[in-house]
Order: sequence, then structure tokens, then C-alpha cells
Amino acid sequence: MDYDILLGKPAKDKSRKKQMREIIFFKIFFLLPAVLFLAVFMYYPIKETFQLSMMRASGLGESVFIGFENYVRLFTNEEFQSGLINVFRWAFWSVVIQIPLSFFIAFSLVAYRNKMTNGLRAVYYLASVLPSAIVAMLGRFMFAPNFGIIASISRKFNWIWLDKVDFLGDPRIAFWSVFFVATWAYIGFYIVYIMANIEQIPVDIREAAELDGANRWQYAIHIVLPIISYPLRIIAVLCVVGSLKLFDLPYLLTGGGPGHATKTLGIILYQQGFVNWQYGKAAAVGVVIFLLSLIFTVAQFSWQRKEGDIG
Amino acid sequence: MKKRRWLLFVGVMALVVVLLAPVYAAPRVKLTVWGRDLPDEQADHAYIRALINNFKAKNPDIEVDYIALGDPGLMDKTKVAMANNKVLPDIFQTWGGSTMGGYADAGRLLDMTKELKSIPCSSAAQQAMTWKGKIYGVAPFFAIAGVFYNEGIFKKYNLSIPTTIDQLEEIAETLKSKGIQPFACGAKDKWPVLALFMYLTDRSGGVQVFNNAADRKSRFDNPEFIKAAQKYQEWVKKGYFGDKPLSETYSDAQQLMATGKAAMQISGSWLCAQYANKEFTDQTIGFFAFPEMKGGKGKITDVMGMPDIAFAVTRTAANKRAAVVRFLKYAMSVEVCQAEPGRICSVPGVKARNPLTEKASNVFTQAKEIQFWWDQNLPPMVTTPLLDAMQNIFLPNADLKKAFTTYESLVEEVMGPVKK
Repeated sequence: MDYDILLGKPAKDKSRKKQMREIIFFKIFFLLPAVLFLAVFMYYPIKETFQLSMMRASGLGESVFIGFENYVRLFTNEEFQSGLINVFRWAFWSVVIQIPLSFFIAFSLVAYRNKMTNGLRAVYYLASVLPSAIVAMLGRFMFAPNFGIIASISRKFNWIWLDKVDFLGDPRIAFWSVFFVATWAYIGFYIVYIMANIEQIPVDIREAAELDGANRWQYAIHIVLPIISYPLRIIAVLCVVGSLKLFDLPYLLTGGGPGHATKTLGIILYQQGFVNWQYGKAAAVGVVIFLLSLIFTVAQFSWQRKEGDIG
Repeated sequence: MKKRRWLLFVGVMALVVVLLAPVYAAPRVKLTVWGRDLPDEQADHAYIRALINNFKAKNPDIEVDYIALGDPGLMDKTKVAMANNKVLPDIFQTWGGSTMGGYADAGRLLDMTKELKSIPCSSAAQQAMTWKGKIYGVAPFFAIAGVFYNEGIFKKYNLSIPTTIDQLEEIAETLKSKGIQPFACGAKDKWPVLALFMYLTDRSGGVQVFNNAADRKSRFDNPEFIKAAQKYQEWVKKGYFGDKPLSETYSDAQQLMATGKAAMQISGSWLCAQYANKEFTDQTIGFFAFPEMKGGKGKITDVMGMPDIAFAVTRTAANKRAAVVRFLKYAMSVEVCQAEPGRICSVPGVKARNPLTEKASNVFTQAKEIQFWWDQNLPPMVTTPLLDAMQNIFLPNADLKKAFTTYESLVEEVMGPVKK
């Protein structure tokens, strides 16, 4: 007997053809709003951005088609090169530092659960719900010379070596100062996400491991890590793509300086477009960010598909 | 019964007249004004508050829709609106110069020369609102760059106002030896770095050094710029700007001045209101013109300046000229300008309301050459890169020649190569 999947009951006297037509109609009906939304707010702007990246456009007056000149100028520009290196550095260290740290804290909170666990989870998550402007302000409050917390503490205890460190003004240190603030701000979300995944692991698996004599950290490395490897990879993708788009914290903390030490592609895009009126160049930076994000995301998911994690 | 009906009829008609009256009354002209500051109780918003509130009260036939966009919101929104060319305000706050000129060239602004030419104001302020011979707005307040200094500290260490850069360096050395930071700057924010660089370049080579480069008669990496940058870097290396100058924001710099931790700051006269405010600082702050360089071409009467508060008119106000002129004339009136506690007024007859503004006003009135603030004078495409190049001065190992050559290549891309 035929079954009407739309009505959820056996089909009466509808022909197969008619049924198919209805299914197609409903598919289109339900998909249309999302497709329209994506087309208007995503695909069309992407197409426009690609076009704009081939133009010399100041926003005022005529735009002139210049082919790939904007890209050539960008890739030979020292500022853009620094921005590119900085986002790759950021992506690398985010994956290497933030994810293991998040896993360590998340596992500790689950494995050593006590009265304080929920409170600590809220404390770690707090930075994630704060707006970037507040996080940056707190970061500045910590690192500012003369009036900052570190400056005040180092003076109080006469730690001259610490007082001499220029956290946001020394090009060798500024990147790490911003990265430190970002780590504090971002890991809250990762911790909660990883905790939720760890908590879903059936208790009998842990009990079986305990019976086999595994201690907590052996259990973490040999059992928990493989089980939650998929969510960890999702976080890795978020880290990498987030690094490519990075703008708010470096901009608010250092403005991309000193020199180009903390400049990111997002900052360069903003400056080219909204400050320097070079909309063509800004669009070219946007296209580079888009393509890099696309490449990394596709690569990451096809790697997972190969390993059989996802369909 | 008849009388009752008659009364009812009269009543209904009266109601209809009352309800329809606003519809058929003379239409109110609506002016949309985009500004930076809120017209609130904050001390340095006193002028804008007086302008908007008093104008509304005195001109009931004009509806003013004032929108405060903040900084850099005002600049960002104006740029986007001008590029979009659809939703423009009638009047917007501006700093004049090349940014305003770019809008004028693109046909977004309204030529108001005929209406505004006769409004009394300083020639520098009128010049700042003029682009290619046409006047596009008014500048009730004008800012100049000079040296703010702590009078108490100068008195304590028996220091007097320098007339040469050598003397200024001696003062800086003395202050450093007493544990006081000679100059507060705010190099993290980049733009505050420019004021001193403009003066060092001018005092060495005169106003023509920049003018020639901007007119593409010489390069931005010519020896005069490099010499000025090297002198600046020498001061950075000597510690005149403290040991962490690149971490210092402009507001940090103000705090250093307010608390007496730094003794001098080379910045714009917009700071007068704040530094004269006893609630902000218990220090007594003074102001002097940047000194001359021995053997240099620049004079102490060469002053860097730009509009502090100015308004320009867009093309959308073409049918509202009369209302716009009333608004701008009121913005330039002695009555409303007197509300301002600290800025230098371009309107004759407005007296400075504190000794610090008076000192800055004196420097302004004695000026023989006013050079427009460079980052307002160059096309917007090359202003931020100029500030980026400036920040290199604060990196001890930066190759300044290379930084300025990189900047010159960008200028060539935007403004063309040097004309031979």
C-alpha cells in the first residue's frame, strides 16, 4: 500500500505522479523562505563583493574596472602580509592552546564535580557573554601603563621587571597580550560545549574503565578524547574561521598596532573601506577572508568525512 | 429642537476646523542635522545643547531633527551616506578640508557662497569651509595645535616658556631628571602623534615642505620629513614620552596631564575646556606656541589648525535654503557661541571664558600662517596610512626612510607621482 508521507497515513486514491508533485511543491514551499533569505542577504552580497573587488571605487564618483590590480597590490603590501601572517598565527595558537586548555578545564569540572562546579562553569562562561567592548576595556584596564592593574601591582611590590613590560606597546608582546585576553573571553563557550559532550558519555563506559584500572586522566585521554573528537573538531573549525575574521578584540585593544603587530584581515578590511575609502581594496580583503574560510571549512569537513565521522 | 440641531451643527463644524487646522496650516520645514555630541548636560556639549535647544525654541516654524552619532560614528555614517547618495542629512558636522572637499567634488554638497560669505568670522575658519572657491558651510569654532604645559611644575623647577627647540629639549631633560614625563602624547591612538611631527617639519623646512608634497611637487620621503621624523624618534629614545608610549591612549595622556605626571602635551585647543575645568584637574595648565628651530625656516607664527566644530550643507537642502541659512547664522551668533566653555571661537565678539582658552586664542590671533591639519588636508585614502607611518617613529628600531617611502608609493597610487 502507498503511504502519504505528508499526511503521515496510507495514501488513498492519489496517483503516484500527483503525490510526487505535492511533495515537490511542499519542498519548495518550505525551502523558499530560507533560500530567499540566503540569496538576498548572503549570495547577492558575495557576488557584489566579488565584483567590487575588481574595481577602483572610493564610494564617491564612478567606479573603474581594474581587474585583479587590487589583489596584486594587496599581496605585495607589507600591511596585508602582516595581517595574513597574524591571522594564521592566531588560528594556529587558538587550536594549540585554547582547545586543549578548554578540554582540561571542562574535564576537570566534570571529573572533580563538587558544590563549586556550577559556579565555576558560570564564572568561565561569564566572559563569553560579555560584549567584546567590555572585554577589551577590562583587558586595557589590566595592561594599561601608569593606571593599569598590572602596573599598580608591580609598583606596589616593587617588581621593576614587570613594570618595565609594555604589554600593548611592544610589538613582540602585543600579539600575546591580545591573545591572552581573547583566550579568557573565548574559552568559556568551548568549556561549556565540551562539558555538555563529556556529560553525555554513558556512565557505564566510565565504570568499565575504572574496573579496568584506568585513572581519571587515562580515562580522559584514551576514552573521553576519542569519543568527543567530533565536537572538538567543530570547535577547531570555529577557531580557525573565527581567527580569519578576527576584528573586535585586536582593534579595541591595540588598533592593530604597534606597527602591524596585531593587525588582522578584519582590521585591514575596515580601515580600507571605512577609513581610507578604498572600497575596492576592502572588498578584495573580504574575498580573501571568504575564500580562506571556505577552503579551511571544506578541507576540515572532507577530512572528517574520510575518517567516517559524518555522513 | 431646531436650535439644538443648529448648535450641534456648529459644534461639529468647530471640531472639524480644529482637527483640520494643522493640515492646512503653513507646513513646517524640517531640517535633519547630523552631529557628533549629544545636546546633554556634559560641560563640553554646552554649545551644541544651546544651539539645538535655543534654535528650536526661537524658530517654531522649523523642525530640527538633530541626530548625535558620536565619534567615529559621525564620520563613518556620513561616508556611507555620501557614497550611497540617497539618504543624506540637510546639515552635517564636519572638520572641513579634503574630506568635505571630496563630498563637494562628488556633487553631494550645496554651494552656499552667496548666503554665507558675509557672516562675520575669522578668515582661517572661512577658508577651512571653502573648497575650490566655494563656501559649503560655517565653522563657529577653530582648533589650533600648541603646547599645553603644567604651570605649577614649570614654576617649581624654575622653567620658562621656550622660544627655541633647543630650550624645549633642555626643559624635557630637566623634567626627566625630576621623574616627570616631559610629554604626554597618546601614541596608541596614532592621530595624536601627528601634531608634533607637523611642527617639527614646519620649524625645520617651513610650511612649504608639506604644501609641496601635498601638491605633488615633492615626495613624502624627502629629507625634511625624514629629518623631522628622526628628531622625533630621538626624543622617543630619550624617554621624553615615557617608557611605554605605544600603550598610552589619548585619554591616558589627558590623565597624565591632569595628575601632573606629565608636564607638556602637544595637542589641539579643544582640550582647553577640560584642562581649565577644576573638577577634571587640580593642576594649572597653560598654553604656548610651539617654539622655533635655530636655523630653521618655520616661524613661531606658523600654526597648525582646523575647524573644531563646523557644519556643511548637503544637496538635499536645496529647497530649504532659507531655513538652513537661519540655522547656520544662529550657529555663528555671539549669543549661542558664548555658551561654549573652552573652544576657540571664530566669531568676532565672543570672549574666551577661561584663561587657558584666552592663551590659546592669543596664539591663534598672532598666527601669520595657518596650515591645515595634515590628516584633514590630504585625501582620506592616504590619511590613515600617514598616521601608520607616524607610529613607526615610536618603534625604536623602525627604518623611518623605508616607512616614508612606502607611504610615498601609496600617495603616488592615489594622488599621482611628483610633477616634474
